[in-house]
Amino acid sequence: MDRLGGGRYARDRQFLTIVYFLFFFVVFGYQWADGRWLYQVRPEFMSYNRDLSELGVILVGLPRWMIAHPWSFGLADAMLFLFPVGWLAMGRRPLLRRLLGVGFVLYLGLYLLLADIFWQIHHEPFILYLLLPLALITTRAERFHRLLDACRYYFLYVFVSAAIWKIARGAVFNGQEMSRILIVHHDDLLTACNGWTCSMYSWLIEHPAVAQLLYILGVVVEAVFVVGFFTRRYDRVLMGLAVLFVVADHLVMRIPYWTLLLGGVTLWIDGRPRERIMVVYETTHHENLPALLDLCALRFTRVVVFLKEVSFANITGSGSPASRWPNTEFVVQDADEPNRRLITRLFRFLRRERCSHLHLSTLDNNWLLFTLGLVFSPSLQVSLTVHEINDYFARRWRSLRDWTESVAKPLLHRRIKHYSFFLPAMAEYFQQQMPGATAVFLPSRFYAGPADPKGDARRFTVVLPGSIDQQRREYGSVVAVFRQWPADAPPVTLVLLGDSSGRDGQLLVLQLRSIRTPTFRLKHYEGYIDQPEYERQIRAADVLWSPLRIHKTGSRETAEVYGQTTASGLTADLLLSNTPALAPAELELPEIFQPAHLPYHHAGEAAALLQRLAGDGMHRRELRTRIDMAFEYFTPANFIAAFEALMALSQESEEGRADAIEADDHSVQ
Amino acid sequence: MKWWIIGFFVLQIGFDLAHSVTAFPFVHYGMFSESFKQPDSILVYRIVADGAMLRPVDWSVYSWDMVQLPLAAAVKRQETNDFAFDKDKLRAGMAATGLPGVYNSLKFNLNNQGDFMAWYKGYLGRLLRRPVARLRVDKCWYRWKDGGMVLIGTQNWLNG
Repeated sequence: MDRLGGGRYARDRQFLTIVYFLFFFVVFGYQWADGRWLYQVRPEFMSYNRDLSELGVILVGLPRWMIAHPWSFGLADAMLFLFPVGWLAMGRRPLLRRLLGVGFVLYLGLYLLLADIFWQIHHEPFILYLLLPLALITTRAERFHRLLDACRYYFLYVFVSAAIWKIARGAVFNGQEMSRILIVHHDDLLTACNGWTCSMYSWLIEHPAVAQLLYILGVVVEAVFVVGFFTRRYDRVLMGLAVLFVVADHLVMRIPYWTLLLGGVTLWIDGRPRERIMVVYETTHHENLPALLDLCALRFTRVVVFLKEVSFANITGSGSPASRWPNTEFVVQDADEPNRRLITRLFRFLRRERCSHLHLSTLDNNWLLFTLGLVFSPSLQVSLTVHEINDYFARRWRSLRDWTESVAKPLLHRRIKHYSFFLPAMAEYFQQQMPGATAVFLPSRFYAGPADPKGDARRFTVVLPGSIDQQRREYGSVVAVFRQWPADAPPVTLVLLGDSSGRDGQLLVLQLRSIRTPTFRLKHYEGYIDQPEYERQIRAADVLWSPLRIHKTGSRETAEVYGQTTASGLTADLLLSNTPALAPAELELPEIFQPAHLPYHHAGEAAALLQRLAGDGMHRRELRTRIDMAFEYFTPANFIAAFEALMALSQESEEGRADAIEADDHSVQ
Repeated sequence: MKWWIIGFFVLQIGFDLAHSVTAFPFVHYGMFSESFKQPDSILVYRIVADGAMLRPVDWSVYSWDMVQLPLAAAVKRQETNDFAFDKDKLRAGMAATGLPGVYNSLKFNLNNQGDFMAWYKGYLGRLLRRPVARLRVDKCWYRWKDGGMVLIGTQNWLNG
């Protein structure tokens, strides 16, 4: 494995490279606009700035020689840009790259000395431009992070030492300090006062107490950076303060110190290893959690799930979640707690506990909030279960929510590279849309085992699981089949295993109740069906029926295709027992589910299949045996590799091995 | 590696304690930390190029800096007799470290030469993107009074 490939180190390194050179080229490129390049200044005089290194350069005669040979100024400017370009271009030649890196740092140092000698550049904000490339020169992860840490301390030192200077030299205690600074600093502007900035300075000079308050606030902001020496917890806050300080400095002092903000990258990149903690967020589809939590328990010693109260109560059909997943902590959303507050709690927890992994089991709202949270947690390993693929790539601009989601999606596409799906076909389809991503198939749950054998004497039971929704399911065939259920066929009970209190549900119940066949009975539910009852009905069923409309409109009115771009709850329900399921022939189920799939093209075919099942107990038993054998595949052992890929755990261990080999190499040397 | 880092910070703090001198890349972050006294007068350069006075509001912050910095540097050079004090300290330092010969053979590199007026006219012309034929720089002394800057004295410095 390439030492620079994959993992946190590579990500951090790439991020530092981008930020550093972005700042470098913008800062030094922008100097051209102000006539600050040496060839533009074409100096003829040197200044002494009480710096020993500068004195050394002057003494050896380089500035004097350059003055005598003005073409050298252009060469000096050109080299300032050619060095980093050459360094960047030597991507795969380690020795040359390192030499160019060292050369670049030394040359940048010399250029800054010359700039100060010739036109009094202020060195202070540029020291980190010299120190940060040292981290890019090394190719060792541990050394990279150590140098980055050192740069972070230096960045903190810049602010803290500025505060100490102001306190130690008594400026803070001089009530007139700031107003006098303003007079001296803005002297030329104040001589021809014109405009709001000049009026503001004049006002501040006339109100020294207010001006001094600003000065003290500035010192306090600088001093606060001392916190960074003891903890990294507030690094993002410090970064915000650094930005605030630079903005205030620009407004009050007219010092455009934003070049200093390059150092903020050291607060942004957190090189410390994260705690191996898995956090799962799920507020909508708790029925999809069991397999994920089983797998988490195998690979993580600590798992934390953020979920709704109703989800917690229904996550498992038998026993409590605490007894089924003893090492898993459940953070339950209060009934009156808004989702946004839960999300805020989630990210606060991730930061405080320094969690390594986050899996978003469902993401259907608050996209921008999640995106911001993830952008501010760059070293967090994030994965996502996508329920509707087309919607994940769709952009809409009709409402504020559309706008926020459309802005968030491309950022999420960049940030999240690991995805899971409930069908293999979905994973394949997704991979075509996002070739660089890891897309794996994980079932909602593992196979629960066969249902208890049923005597032939009991009523034949057909269960229609899921919410009653005309958009997603086609009930005409259901009504037609039972309306024509033969009087001499075995008695049948139809269970509508979803909330039928809605308009679609009421309409369906009305139609089914109008069936006068004496052998037909209807059972239906109003309101939320708790999980034990739901699972009991599924396991008691002789056959499930999922009359899906294969081409449906998704939650955001995006066209989706069951089996390809979205999955129904059927695959989760099937794994609760070895019950066969009637579903449209058009629905593409993976091979492993095929033994349970009874496909039909029209109502007549569905009726024939049901009547055969109802009347032929041997056929039912044979079918169940086949399904039982096929579903034995759904065990954690068969999905642990996919889970590791989803969590990038295999990549982590490869990286660990590479680091160990690298350490060995180093010790041999 | 960590000893390099610790060494760097030790040197940094050492130079911070040295106050008046730095050795790049060990610099001070003590800007605006000295306790300012009420200035008797404030020196401002009035620059008139080909009859037109240059005003800071017409320039960006950095660009205006580039107009002003050479003037301040030239005055400092003039007032310090081309940094005689610094050169003297350097000579003494090198003599103390046993390198007086090196100093003597290189000391000619320390001296500034050239005509500031001619250079500044050309330089200003490059900033203005037009040649400057006539240049006048006055030293103007102001005092802050009654909410504004009051001119208390003027002296022509450059004219040509």
